[in-house]
Amino acid sequence: MSTEFLEMKNLSKFYGNIIALTGVTTTVNPGEVTCILGDNGAGKSTFIKILAGVHQHDEGDLLLEGEAKKFASPREALAHGIATVYQDLAMVPLMSVWRNFFLGQEPRKGVWPFRQIDIDKAKMIAKEEMAKMGIDIRDTEQAVGTLSGGERQSVAIARASYFGARVLILDEPTSALGVKQSGVVLRRIVEARDQGLAVIFITHNPHHAYPVGDRFVILKRGRSLGNWAKEELSQAELTQLMAGGAELEQLQHELAGAGAS
Amino acid sequence: MADTTSDKPAGTAAGDSGDERLAHRGPIQTLLTRPEIGALLGLVGVGVMFWLVAGQFGTVGGIANFLDTAAILGIMAVPVALLMIGGEFDLSSGAMTGATAMVVVLLSIDPASGGAGLNLFLAVPLTLALALSIGWFNGTVVDRTSLPSFIVTLGTFFILWGGKLGFAKLFTDKVIVGDGGQLKDAGGFDFWSSIFGAEWVLNPQKVESGEVDENGQAILDIVPGTGHLWDGRDWVWAGLLIIGGAALLLGVLELTYRRRSAYKMPGIVFSAVGVAVAVAGFAYLLTQGGSASEWIGGVLVAAGVLAGVSGWCVARYEPADRSGVESADSPGLMYRLAAGVVGIVLGVLVALLMDAENTDRLGFLPGAAGRTVFAIGIAVAGVLAVLAAMGRIRMTYPLIGAVIMFIPTVSFLVTGQGARVLLFGGLAGVGVLLLASAAGRSRMPLAVSLLSAVAVVVLAFFIQAESTSRKLRVELFVVLLLIALLVAVAALASHLCQRRHTSVAPADLGPWARVGAIAGLAGVVVFAVLELIDGDGIIYSVVIGITKGALVAFAVYAAGALYKLLFTSDEGTGRAVVVVGAGLVALSFIVRLLFITEAEALATNARTSFRVQVLFLLLYAAAGTWVLAKTQFGNWIFAVGGNKEAARSVGVPAARAKTTLFMLVSGSAWLAGMLIAFRQLSVQADVGNGDEFRYIIVAVVGGNLLTGGYGSALGAAIGAIIWGMISQGIGFALWNSNWQFLVLGALLLVAVIVNNYIRGRAEKAPVKTEKAKPDQAEITIVVPKEPTSELKEDQP
Repeated sequence: MSTEFLEMKNLSKFYGNIIALTGVTTTVNPGEVTCILGDNGAGKSTFIKILAGVHQHDEGDLLLEGEAKKFASPREALAHGIATVYQDLAMVPLMSVWRNFFLGQEPRKGVWPFRQIDIDKAKMIAKEEMAKMGIDIRDTEQAVGTLSGGERQSVAIARASYFGARVLILDEPTSALGVKQSGVVLRRIVEARDQGLAVIFITHNPHHAYPVGDRFVILKRGRSLGNWAKEELSQAELTQLMAGGAELEQLQHELAGAGAS
Repeated sequence: MADTTSDKPAGTAAGDSGDERLAHRGPIQTLLTRPEIGALLGLVGVGVMFWLVAGQFGTVGGIANFLDTAAILGIMAVPVALLMIGGEFDLSSGAMTGATAMVVVLLSIDPASGGAGLNLFLAVPLTLALALSIGWFNGTVVDRTSLPSFIVTLGTFFILWGGKLGFAKLFTDKVIVGDGGQLKDAGGFDFWSSIFGAEWVLNPQKVESGEVDENGQAILDIVPGTGHLWDGRDWVWAGLLIIGGAALLLGVLELTYRRRSAYKMPGIVFSAVGVAVAVAGFAYLLTQGGSASEWIGGVLVAAGVLAGVSGWCVARYEPADRSGVESADSPGLMYRLAAGVVGIVLGVLVALLMDAENTDRLGFLPGAAGRTVFAIGIAVAGVLAVLAAMGRIRMTYPLIGAVIMFIPTVSFLVTGQGARVLLFGGLAGVGVLLLASAAGRSRMPLAVSLLSAVAVVVLAFFIQAESTSRKLRVELFVVLLLIALLVAVAALASHLCQRRHTSVAPADLGPWARVGAIAGLAGVVVFAVLELIDGDGIIYSVVIGITKGALVAFAVYAAGALYKLLFTSDEGTGRAVVVVGAGLVALSFIVRLLFITEAEALATNARTSFRVQVLFLLLYAAAGTWVLAKTQFGNWIFAVGGNKEAARSVGVPAARAKTTLFMLVSGSAWLAGMLIAFRQLSVQADVGNGDEFRYIIVAVVGGNLLTGGYGSALGAAIGAIIWGMISQGIGFALWNSNWQFLVLGALLLVAVIVNNYIRGRAEKAPVKTEKAKPDQAEITIVVPKEPTSELKEDQP
């Protein structure tokens, strides 16, 4: 059996007697994008939080390079190279790009008590890393709040990859963005993949997921509907599965009926 | 579009320069984006106002006086500002200053007076430990409970308030502790008093020499070794000021204009001649007496400076590109010119018509007239407010009523004389500003700018001829002439040189800074040892050594910056030279303030001293600014105030950072408390209660955002100085001190509005994040429309 980089087998999580997530099986490999799709309440957040170390799974296995793991804290997950870019972006809007980029891990120089941030180096690296993502930041002194939503996502992704992430988890990065901005973020995802990162892309939009994804997991009410490679699934099928198949048809009938009367 | 290019000379040329897309921002624009700009303008405005209306305000004694008030406030306002940037408040900070003062007194006075009789070497550190633990308590409770710090520290505030009162009564049976001066008897008093009670006394002690002058007055002799006499002060002061001013000018030119590839020799020669003439003129001014030589000297200086600057401009910078300026004047030009001239003429007329001798209050709206206008103002404001609320008129119109009310209110405060000065200054000032602003609209900006410079000169001579006070006749006269000279210089430079279009990275002065640091450290040791050999005390020697060492380090850095600017092709040296210039100017004022000449000492009997808290204020402002701008902790302060969850999720220890800030505030309250205790020796139970709001107000005036995440430590210190100026200036102006809060309230509002306006203009973009709105996003997905294929095609 070939060892997958990150493998989940029947991952389950219970809150008391509530089944938050059950039976999720998938794999994530460097240079691949695994998409987790699901509606509200499908268990996407629980899934991320298990990977990010916020929660711990109750059943099943989480294998990192073939070794079973259970992350006790976000810090531990981060130490194993699993970086999460949350929906709220973890950005401070009034602070500049370079300050946000290095927040919490500032490069420093000098001797205590005169130790200070190596600002020139920080600015240079921030600019370079953003350039690698294909974004040419004019002025790293610019406040993050003045960037567009897509650019902010890009800063977060560039930051994660610079600080040694091997697995990049993106929580609904496109949900608050317009069509064009979403395109920018999807391109960043592809670039991160091409740099050899394993990307986990959480979304409820199959039209965003299909073009970039290599592997798809659909969650519904805490259960996994399946785990497909791209070849096994067309976009239409994905949309259909995602929207709940029969339920969507039912809804279309209802709406058509309402329109007729 | 070509017509309007002269309207916006800077910042529009981003497109025409290769790959660097960042438009160059001139020094003024950079300054305008700083959070403390509102406070800086307030400082200048309030300072000028009190300097005009209150005789004592601008003297060394007056400055020492308001800095004294400002210092204790600033020592607290700077940490409170840091805490505010970190997103929290500490309402116990005011009561804490009094509490630490009281605790140190109670701990150290003898048991017979109700104290614990501890040695101060124990009592002072114990008080610090107590203060820090209260800060830790505040921070921890706020963090653990997630309650608003407002509520938690309000609790601490009342505990401290009640505790102070209760313990004072319990132990001493009075609401004031140590009022018998028992602190002086406590062990270690001399040492701690030499730190917290230290002061720099300018005036030397004087004794009667035993002789009398022709009027029968006893002639006084100065006791050697007392006070801070320095007869060379004026030469050093003026020299530093001029060199610093020149460096500032040089740096600003370098930051603003675009360099030639090589010097142009004729320009250099011309410039050198100009500088020589200016120096000669200045020397002539200083050495010769009489009004004729003042004329000659003044004209020589002005001509020399103008020649020097224009020569330098020609020699160093690309000539201005005038291809786009052929077009006609902008529409507003004539109005501005006309209104400007009318303003100046009106101002002069007002000055001529009004009574210059009238020193009574109620200048121009006395008695019934004033009351009527005031009543009309209220009525207008009320009616307009109702109309505005109903949506009939614009929301800004009710301000008209406020303006009407304002006129009689002010007339209660000023004398006939004062009103004349204010009216003249206001009208003429607006006139000159209108003239100056017309320059940008004309196709001959140089001519219009020179016209406004000439107008300033005319006004200066008018003031000299018309006014009786020495301050206006001499000081204001010189200042106005200098302003006119600067306007002319700026106009000439912008006529001759081409603006920079792209930004340049600041020069690397690292080697010079390092050499300077080493030389400075060596200087510290050498100078301190020299003082010690001279037989001075250890602390005095160390302080003198550090001061002189710092001067050596600064001199090396300044030499490096100037060398790089003058003799290398590095174009990024402007900022460093501006820093050097500002440093030299600051140094010149420090020299002026800290020393007294023998003639002055013999002429005055008033005792002038700077207390040690002024030094602490400077340290706080500098350290706070450095921490915020350069350190990891500063980054964390901004982050926890701006978005605490985000900061936490990327590994910032938010709880620790906030608790540290609370401890910083309470530790500073300890320092303020020690300064109070060792100055007054006795402490009343209510000292400091209510001061926390002053700290917050001062921090807000200084550009700190109440909601956290943005602000400046320097701004808070400047805000404290403004407060000190107002609270002392009102006394100097012989106003009733009840007006203090009216002025302060108005200041707070104006400063906040200016800060807000400038920040909005500077960033020109929304600063708030729009949080993701999942609800809306979901709705669009639940009922999917036709599968959109465009997006897919967009993707690679």
